[in-house]
Amino acid sequence: MSESELIEIAGQWNFNYNYFAGESASRFFRELRENQRIMGTRCTKCRRLLVPARAFCDACMERTNEWEAVGPEGTLDTFTIITTQFPGLPKPPIVMAYVTLDGADTALINLVHGLDMSDIDKAARRLNSLPRVRTKFIDEPKGRITDFSFELI
Amino acid sequence: MALENVSVYVEGVALEMSWADPRRNLSEFIFDTVRNALDDAGGSLDGITSVVLAAHDLVDGRSLSSMVTAPAAGAYLRDEIRYGDDGAGAFAAAVTRLEAGECERTIVAAWGRSSEHDVDAVSRTLFDPIFARPLGLEELHISGMRAQDWRRRHGGDSRVAAKQRAAAAARNPRALHKGGFKSAASYPLVEADLPLWGDVAAAMILTTKPTGVRLAGLGQSSEPYWIGDRTLHEATALRQAAERAMREARCKPAEIDIFEIDGLTLYDEAIGLEAIGLAKPGSGLDALAGNEKCNPSGGGAAGYCAPSMGLVRIIESVLQIQGRAGGNQIAAPRRALATGSSVVAGQTQTAVILEAA
Ligand SMILES: [Zn+2]
Repeated sequence: MSESELIEIAGQWNFNYNYFAGESASRFFRELRENQRIMGTRCTKCRRLLVPARAFCDACMERTNEWEAVGPEGTLDTFTIITTQFPGLPKPPIVMAYVTLDGADTALINLVHGLDMSDIDKAARRLNSLPRVRTKFIDEPKGRITDFSFELI
Repeated sequence: MALENVSVYVEGVALEMSWADPRRNLSEFIFDTVRNALDDAGGSLDGITSVVLAAHDLVDGRSLSSMVTAPAAGAYLRDEIRYGDDGAGAFAAAVTRLEAGECERTIVAAWGRSSEHDVDAVSRTLFDPIFARPLGLEELHISGMRAQDWRRRHGGDSRVAAKQRAAAAARNPRALHKGGFKSAASYPLVEADLPLWGDVAAAMILTTKPTGVRLAGLGQSSEPYWIGDRTLHEATALRQAAERAMREARCKPAEIDIFEIDGLTLYDEAIGLEAIGLAKPGSGLDALAGNEKCNPSGGGAAGYCAPSMGLVRIIESVLQIQGRAGGNQIAAPRRALATGSSVVAGQTQTAVILEAA
């Protein structure tokens, strides 16, 4: 059979879902919206403060109980710089980073803003020094992970 | 715990890396490789009562893809299990069935066709929809952060290792030599660190009757769900999986002749070599650059598509032990360690040790 006789059928797979965030994530997001603070939950067994807040510690398979605020400052752990555009996200280059907020035992991922990105290598060197960062909230938080980002102090 | 005196042997293998062949649909693509593995094992289906598959609905673009594809993998009138994880995990599941005395011969197969789906878009859907997906996170971004964390601690870059890897892939007759594509690299990754997306099918026949290649050890482990809870510059779950496999095989890394390590990027492969204990922390890239025992297949540069890569690594190891690897054959290896890692960002890890029997 010749190439031109072979058929390709275009397809799409696009459904709507409603994801139940659950009580812990709902409270975490409500704290973002109403109090502009990042909350963690403490494991009853290993005592780590887990961020973002969650109902259980999967290392211990135990429930968490106490809620504690972390940050608003923290230390950058690692990062990547994304140079391709993705619909719904800011224009590249974008810095994505894991940050351990003060008081937390786990790292939280979000975008890093406020860095001069005109020279990527220079920006990378700055980030490579594991700078201190603070959380910065948008003007009208909606109770979503995109309510805040990190900026270098 | 295995039944006494039950060992698992490899009877036949087959592997295909190709690109956008419009002459075959997905089930025909799968059939060719499974048929080749059966032929490699002597051609007969006699005694095969079990089929274990690794496939992913989102990769295949077919819901319940096992129902579409299992018959092409030999599942007709057989007990079929589909493993929604890496092919090395399917291999492990097949082994447990053999060791439990549930069957005497089994087919294991895994596949993924990068040319049929948008690999980056599928990658974005894999992440947690509540905390991570709104940020547009992709698996390659996690690999970028892992590479950054590793580089900050240990220094160096991937240039020499990438050159060696490309040369190894060029020697590998089973590698994807035409077509395929690469995603965009996020800093500090560069194009040479990335996997070459291809259409990949892998199949193997396992048996309890002795052949020239025997399974000597097997281990599996998992990372925490939250990526922010993990130690990114190490592969803790892989270290544990490899320790279990080596304990079972009663061997140390120095006593292993071939290492086929699965990882999304060159840095993931390097960190994998450190996790299994072949390379000291910080020297994984040096091992890939200078030790011909490490990923002689060319790793992700030889062609890549989840969830088939762990089974590909195992098959490359089998071919090395059998002396059938071709242009990338290493001199007379007796023992090999192969690994397979799953989405998301290597959350589950399987380590397999094979020996000449
Ligand atoms: Zn705990």
